[in-house]
Amino acid sequence: MRRRDFIALVGSAVAWTVPARAQSMPVIGYLGSENPERYSSRLRAFREGLAEVGYIEGRNVEIEFRWAEGQYNRLPAIAKDLASRPLNVIVAAGGAEVALAAKSATATIPIVFEMGGDPIALGVVDSLSRPGGNLTGVSSLSVEVSRKRLEFMHEMRPGTKVFAVAVNPTSPTSSSQLKNLHTAATSLGLELVVLKTSTEQEFDGMFTAVHDMRAGGLVFSSDPYFAYRSQQLAALAVRHAVPAMTQSRDFPLAGGLMSYGGDFNQSHRHTGMYAGRILKGEKPSDLPVQRVTKVELFINLKAASALGISFPSSILSSADGVIE
Amino acid sequence: MSNPLVVPRTSLFKKYFRALFAAAVVPLLIAGGSDAWFGYHDQRARLNDLLNAEARFAAVNIQDFIEGIRDQLGWTVQLPWSEDGGDRRRLDALRLLRQVPSVENLTLVDATGKERLFVSRIGLNRIEGGDDLSAKPAVTGARSDRIWYGPVTFHGGSEPFMAIAIAGNRTADGVAIAEVNLKFIWEVISGIRVGRTGDAFVLDRPGRLVAHPDISLVLRADEAAQRPLQALRAAILARPGQAAVGQDVMGKSVLGAMVQIPGVDWSVIVKQPLAEAFAPIYAALWRTAALLVGGAALAAVLAYWLTQRMIGPIRLLEDGVARIGAGQFDHRISLTTRDEFERLATRFNEMAAELAVSQERSERINRLKRFLAPQVAELVDRTGDDRVLDGRRVEVVVIFCDMRGFTAFSARVEPETVMGVLREYYDALEKVVGAHEATLINFSGDGAMVLVNAPVACSDPALQAVTMAIDMQISVQKLLAGWRAPDHQLGFGVGLAMGPATVGQIGSEGRLHYSAIGNVVNLASRLCSSAQDSEILIDRVAAHAVGSRVPLVELDARTLKGFDQPVPVFSAVIEKAVTDSTA
Repeated sequence: MRRRDFIALVGSAVAWTVPARAQSMPVIGYLGSENPERYSSRLRAFREGLAEVGYIEGRNVEIEFRWAEGQYNRLPAIAKDLASRPLNVIVAAGGAEVALAAKSATATIPIVFEMGGDPIALGVVDSLSRPGGNLTGVSSLSVEVSRKRLEFMHEMRPGTKVFAVAVNPTSPTSSSQLKNLHTAATSLGLELVVLKTSTEQEFDGMFTAVHDMRAGGLVFSSDPYFAYRSQQLAALAVRHAVPAMTQSRDFPLAGGLMSYGGDFNQSHRHTGMYAGRILKGEKPSDLPVQRVTKVELFINLKAASALGISFPSSILSSADGVIE
Repeated sequence: MSNPLVVPRTSLFKKYFRALFAAAVVPLLIAGGSDAWFGYHDQRARLNDLLNAEARFAAVNIQDFIEGIRDQLGWTVQLPWSEDGGDRRRLDALRLLRQVPSVENLTLVDATGKERLFVSRIGLNRIEGGDDLSAKPAVTGARSDRIWYGPVTFHGGSEPFMAIAIAGNRTADGVAIAEVNLKFIWEVISGIRVGRTGDAFVLDRPGRLVAHPDISLVLRADEAAQRPLQALRAAILARPGQAAVGQDVMGKSVLGAMVQIPGVDWSVIVKQPLAEAFAPIYAALWRTAALLVGGAALAAVLAYWLTQRMIGPIRLLEDGVARIGAGQFDHRISLTTRDEFERLATRFNEMAAELAVSQERSERINRLKRFLAPQVAELVDRTGDDRVLDGRRVEVVVIFCDMRGFTAFSARVEPETVMGVLREYYDALEKVVGAHEATLINFSGDGAMVLVNAPVACSDPALQAVTMAIDMQISVQKLLAGWRAPDHQLGFGVGLAMGPATVGQIGSEGRLHYSAIGNVVNLASRLCSSAQDSEILIDRVAAHAVGSRVPLVELDARTLKGFDQPVPVFSAVIEKAVTDSTA
């Protein structure tokens, strides 16, 4: 009798521990618009943020990744599939497209987004201080500073009046950025040539066009699609000897001329922290949308000398990062 | 029997136990209580000092943050505006943005209040914008006080910003206005730690949260959620310089202290969870409680042990005394406590031994009194030596006496009369024997045997015996006078002889007699038988021993049964007067 009791006790203890252990490992669904290689620097920052609130992948949290491989039209389906999984939180990082896809996929699973642009204007959240619903996240300032890139490029090439602007028409922020850029061009007294591109195949033609029209430079609007392809774009800029500027520091690091945009390290780290806080039980509606505080200017002196131009002292003194 | 014993024993046990227990626990309680009380007050004072110091430290850090911006701004308003200085100032302004990350944009205004330069991280820069800003509060404020701090505003209802304006030393230097992103205070505020989990936060003058280690609380800009923090500030303001108890936004009780930052009118408040702040006190209280419990347990064990040690011997003594009281004089209380109890037990044992001795003595006296004269018995008792009763050979005087005509008398009268006569007769004889310190050996019927010089020796046995015999005659003759009636004649005769005899206790264990054996006994008996009424017959040895001290008359030698030769016999002459008066 006593032995049977003991066996029953042990049995129930085992039965109790197994599901408890499975449950103790929360799962994050990570929705990305590209692939792990292009996201690597951002993933590192995201994991840092998670670790800062005490979560380490494989030890006390699992991450289930879904990648759209650059094909944004696939995002909604991938997001839906991800949302059907038993997840504790979805991280939709790396652009408004991803955030919107995740938002349409679930209204119950908490979502932490990372994007550029105004989350209210894009319809992601109703308010920054009280996001409401199941979404919160981090907004970088990259979209807002598109016009600053035009300003910097104009300062770099003060004698030139014509500049080219690269826009991805499939991006939800493209029209607002274009409007901004046109306003800026008017106030700076510049002429803009808008080059629309949404595939890698069009990149080469774009640089050729800039070269052919003898524009002062090519300014990329803020778009993750461009940001994730910084190396490719830098190589093309070097090949075509086009002074170009993107939002991501990856661009000057890869040989491009300069970049100006929100610190994606900071934004992705904050995303990780928010994901961790939600895993700890905080509600997304209690976490205000955060805007990054840092906008960084990176310049590449080597690229400038290769182009035969030099940075004016105003830019040199403002640069957060100088690549020699 | 057991009840009256058990009840007092229990109560004594309780009494001692309580007293001993209280003796140990009460001082412990007092010590522990006062320790806790003083500890609490010390800790409270210490906390007060600590939190105030932390608040000052935090305020200095926040102030440094603001002053850092102010100092940097100061560079931009050191030179008067001239027509050609624009580019230089632009570079200075850009450098400032680079130097001070929290400044989002900077506006430089000239002496007339016109905007000359605007540089921004987000928006487009403007050179010679020309807007008239002279009526703006920032410009007028800076011009009158040199430094002006704008109210905290929340961009998009979320992000806290504040404008700082600074004027140059001269009016010509103009004014610099910086828009500062207050989220940067986060780095300062989150670096402040009070104790293990305590932290700091900043409220502006209306009580809005400006900085908090959890930036999302600031960004939420939720007045209702920040109300507890305002209440905490009000509580501290109510007692300046003192740490106050309040709640944080999570509803947790905290202890807070505050320092105001002049200029911006911010309140820097440091707080520490009460549970953590008072943890040392709680720990001390737990220690005290544990000590108390431990001490009480030890005291209980000690009290129980001591009480048992006291009660055990007392019970033994009680039991022993009860036994001795019940007559068990051979009972001994065995206690080896090596203290007063053992001494008391020894006393009791001694008492029991003495009681046994005295009981034995009184028993012996009672025994002796049966056949010894009371004085003799007392003597034997006093000497405490009954070896006088041992068998030995000694020169004694034996006296026999009996009544004449008693057999016939007893046959004629009622038994009650016989017993009455005998009682009076024996009383009289006993009195005389007692008075003369002789030993009454036995009564048998109307006769009695008396011994002189044994067991108690006397200096002149013969004289004593003869005077006693005379007294016996006188006493008995007085009685006989009352009993003589016409139809029956009663008389009384005495025989007395002196000589060596074996004396001592004769008999069985149950029945002992002190007696004498020898020829002299027979002689005395025969003389008694031979004596007439009122006659005392004395043998020659006794008569010689008496000599002329008592008047004796020698009678004719008589032939006595058991004696071959006629025995010389003397008779004591009893005073005529006495005999007459008795007749």
